[in-house]
Amino acid sequence: MKQTSNTFLDNAHAALQDPAKVQRRDLLALFAPLIRSAAVDSFGHFDELRQQVKQVKQHTLDHLDHYLEKFEREALRNGNHLHYAGDGDQLNSIVLEICQRHSARRVVKGKSMVTEETGLNDFLKRAGLRVMETDLGEYIIQQAGETPSHIVGPALHKSAAEVRELFLAKHDLGERELAETTDMVAEARLVLREHFLKADVGIIGANALIAQNGYSMLVTNEGNGDLCANLPNVLIICTTIDRVVPRARDATAMLRLLVRSATGQPQTCYTSFYSGPRREHDIDGPLETHIVLLDNRRSEILASDYREMLQCIRCGACLNHCPIYAGVGGHAYGWVYPGPMGSILTPLLTSLEQSNALPNACTSCGRCAEVCPADIPLPDLLRDLRHDETRQKLSSSRWRTGLRLHAWLARQPTLYRAFTSLGIFTLHLLGRRKGGFTRLPLAAGWTSQRDFPAPEGRTFMQQYAAIQREEKAREHKAAQAAAQSQSAEQAGPEPVVAGEPRSRRAPPAAAKPAAAARAKPRRAPRGQAPTERIEPSLGTDWSDDKPGGQGHE
Amino acid sequence: MTNPAGRAMSDSPRSRIFARVQQASRPADGDAIERELASLGAAPSADLPAADLAVAFLANVLKNFGSVDCVANRSAAVKTLAEYLYRHFRSHRLVAGNDPNLAAMPWREAGVLPRFGTVEPGEPVALSYALLGVAEIGAVVTVTGKANPAANNLLSEHHIVLVDSTRLVRDMESAWERIEAESAKTGRPRGINFIAGPSSTADIEGKLVYGAHGPRNWHVILMGDVPATALAAAHTLAGR
Repeated sequence: MKQTSNTFLDNAHAALQDPAKVQRRDLLALFAPLIRSAAVDSFGHFDELRQQVKQVKQHTLDHLDHYLEKFEREALRNGNHLHYAGDGDQLNSIVLEICQRHSARRVVKGKSMVTEETGLNDFLKRAGLRVMETDLGEYIIQQAGETPSHIVGPALHKSAAEVRELFLAKHDLGERELAETTDMVAEARLVLREHFLKADVGIIGANALIAQNGYSMLVTNEGNGDLCANLPNVLIICTTIDRVVPRARDATAMLRLLVRSATGQPQTCYTSFYSGPRREHDIDGPLETHIVLLDNRRSEILASDYREMLQCIRCGACLNHCPIYAGVGGHAYGWVYPGPMGSILTPLLTSLEQSNALPNACTSCGRCAEVCPADIPLPDLLRDLRHDETRQKLSSSRWRTGLRLHAWLARQPTLYRAFTSLGIFTLHLLGRRKGGFTRLPLAAGWTSQRDFPAPEGRTFMQQYAAIQREEKAREHKAAQAAAQSQSAEQAGPEPVVAGEPRSRRAPPAAAKPAAAARAKPRRAPRGQAPTERIEPSLGTDWSDDKPGGQGHE
Repeated sequence: MTNPAGRAMSDSPRSRIFARVQQASRPADGDAIERELASLGAAPSADLPAADLAVAFLANVLKNFGSVDCVANRSAAVKTLAEYLYRHFRSHRLVAGNDPNLAAMPWREAGVLPRFGTVEPGEPVALSYALLGVAEIGAVVTVTGKANPAANNLLSEHHIVLVDSTRLVRDMESAWERIEAESAKTGRPRGINFIAGPSSTADIEGKLVYGAHGPRNWHVILMGDVPATALAAAHTLAGR
C-alpha cells in the first residue's frame, strides 16, 4: 500500500473534519478501556502473568536462533513446507508460486496484518487470482477499497449505515431492508460461505508458532480463519519469525494476555492449533500446508535497541488507550500499523525518513505502556525514535536549532535560571492585569487554541529554593531547641544542597513508578556519549518555556 | 522446487535470515537454554469461579454465551439431545462424526436419527464428542482425525458438544499435557480446536452478533457424575 505517514499532520487535520467519525472514535476510546480493565481485574494476577510472559518472550528473543531452528525441525517433521521470505516481495512471490503450482483461482483469507504489510492481496489479484478476505471487518474494507484502521477491528471506522450501503451496492441480492447489524452479518455469512466452499487455497496468519511441537496458534471469534484452514486443499500460513514461542504453555499464557487486552474477553471463541497437512486416516483438512516465515527487517530490529518491540502480541490495546489514535483514527498514520505500536513499527519496518512524523504523534502520557500486555516501554521507544530523527537531521532545521539552543541553555544552570526568572517576571508584569495572554511570540501553537495564563512572578526553582530555605531554618531552630536529643532529622525531606540539582531525571518519569523501574542503561551499543543526548537536558527543569516546543502542541 | 523430503525451499533467504538472527542471539547450548527457560517458572491461570471443576466449567460455558445441560449417563444424554432437536427443529436429525463414543450411544431409545460423517451445506445441527473440557476458559477441545471432521465444528447453525465429566481439566496447560500424552501414542493430530462460544463478531460498530461464519448456537452437554446442584450453581455464577 502507498505510504502516507509523512503527511500525518495533514491526514490528522482531515480526519478531524468528520464529526460522526470523531464521535465514533470517542466512543471506542471510552468503552474499549473499560471493557479491558474489567477483564484484567477479574483475572486476578494479570501483572504476574504479564511479567512471566515478558520474561519468556525476552528469553526467546535472546535465543531466537535456537527456537527458530527447533520450530523449523518440528514443522518439517509435521509435514509442512517451510519458506523464508527476506522481504514482503519475496513472501508475495512465494505465495503466488504455490497458488500457481496448484492452478488455483480462488483464495480465501483469514485476517493477517502480515499480508497487509506485504500487500499480498493486490499482488495476487494482479496475477489473476480471486482473493476474498473473510474476517467480516477485513471483508468490509476490501469491498470498500480501503485499508484497516485498527489492527483488531479493521472496519471500526465505518458506521452500520455505511456498511449497509456498501452491501446493497456490492451484493446482487435484490430488494431488501438490511436494517439491523444482525442482517448484515447474516448476509456476509451467506455470501462468504459460498467462497469458503469453492476456494482452492486458504491463507491465514498465526498468533504464535510453537517451537516444541511445530504447531501454529490461530485466535479468532468468527471462525473464519478455521474455515480457511480446514476446507481448501492447500493452506498457506503467512507469519513472521518473531512469533516463535518455546512451548505450548507459552502460547496459552500469551493467549490469556491477548484476549483480555484485545477485546476484553476471557477467551476467544476459536483458538486452534494446526500442525500440518491431513493425516493418513483423516476425513478432512488440507492436503498440503505451507508456512512462510517473513523477516522484513525483524532480524535488524532484533539486533537494534528496539528489540523490545518484537515482544508485541498485536492486541491493539495501545491503540484503544492512545489519545492521539482516538483523536485522528488509524488511517492518519498512513500505513498498516497505527497508534503507538504503529508509530514505532512503521519507521522500523519502512524507514524513518518516510515516517518521522509518527514518533512525534505522542504526548508521552504513558497510557500505552501502562496497558501494554507485553510490557513494552512504548513511550521510551518513541522518544528514542525522535532522538534518532534529530541525529539523522530529519526534523526541520528550525526545530533542531530550538532543541540545540534549549539543550545548551539547560546545561548552564545559572544562566538558565536567570533567563527563565527574567522571562517569567516579564510575563508576570505584562499579564497580571488581564490574567493571561491571547497571543505570545513563538507560542502560536499554544495561544491559537487557548489562553496562556500569566505567571505568578517567580519560577518553580525560585519557589522551591525558598521553601528549602524555610525548611532549613526551621530544622536549624528545632535542632537548637532540642539540643540534647540526637535523633531528629529522619522525617524531613532529603537535604538538598543549596547550589542544587546538576543532573536529574525528568520529573514525569520519576512520578511513574512503573516507568522509573524500567529505566535502564539503554543505548549503550550505539556508543553515544551522554553529553550528545538531548532528552536528559530537556528534563532538567520543567519550566514552561521550551524553545521550539510549540510546533508539536 | 520442493524436494521429496520436504526441506525448506528458499535456502538463500533462510541462510541470510539465520545469519542475522544468530548474530543477534546470545550464544548458549541447548541444555543451558532449556534450564534458563525452566527457571522462569509457570504463568498463572485465571481463578475458577467455583472450586468444583464441573460447576466452574458450566459457569464459564454460560459466560461464553453457550447453553448447557447436565446428564447422568448416555441414555439421559440421548434423551436430552432429542428434546433439544425437537424444541428447535421439530425433527430428530443430526450429523455426528465417526467417533466410537458417539456410535455407542443408545440413539434408538430416544428416536434420534444421526447421520455419521461430515456436515453438508444445509444441515443445521452437528454433534461432536469433546476430547476435553477446560474449566478455566469454558471451552471444549476437539481434535481432527478420522472421528471428528473439523467442518462439523464450523458449518452447522447449531453445534452440540458432548463432554464426559471425567474429561474435564482445570486449565489450558493441563489440556495440553493430556493432548501431548495422547499424541505420543497416536501421533500429533493435524488440528486441535479449543471452542469457547458460538461464532461471533463485533466488526460492525463494535456490536456483538452471533453466527458470524460458524454456529449461531453452541450447546454443551456435560455427561457423568456431576453434583445435582451443579447446573443451578453454574447459572447463578454466570448470572444467566
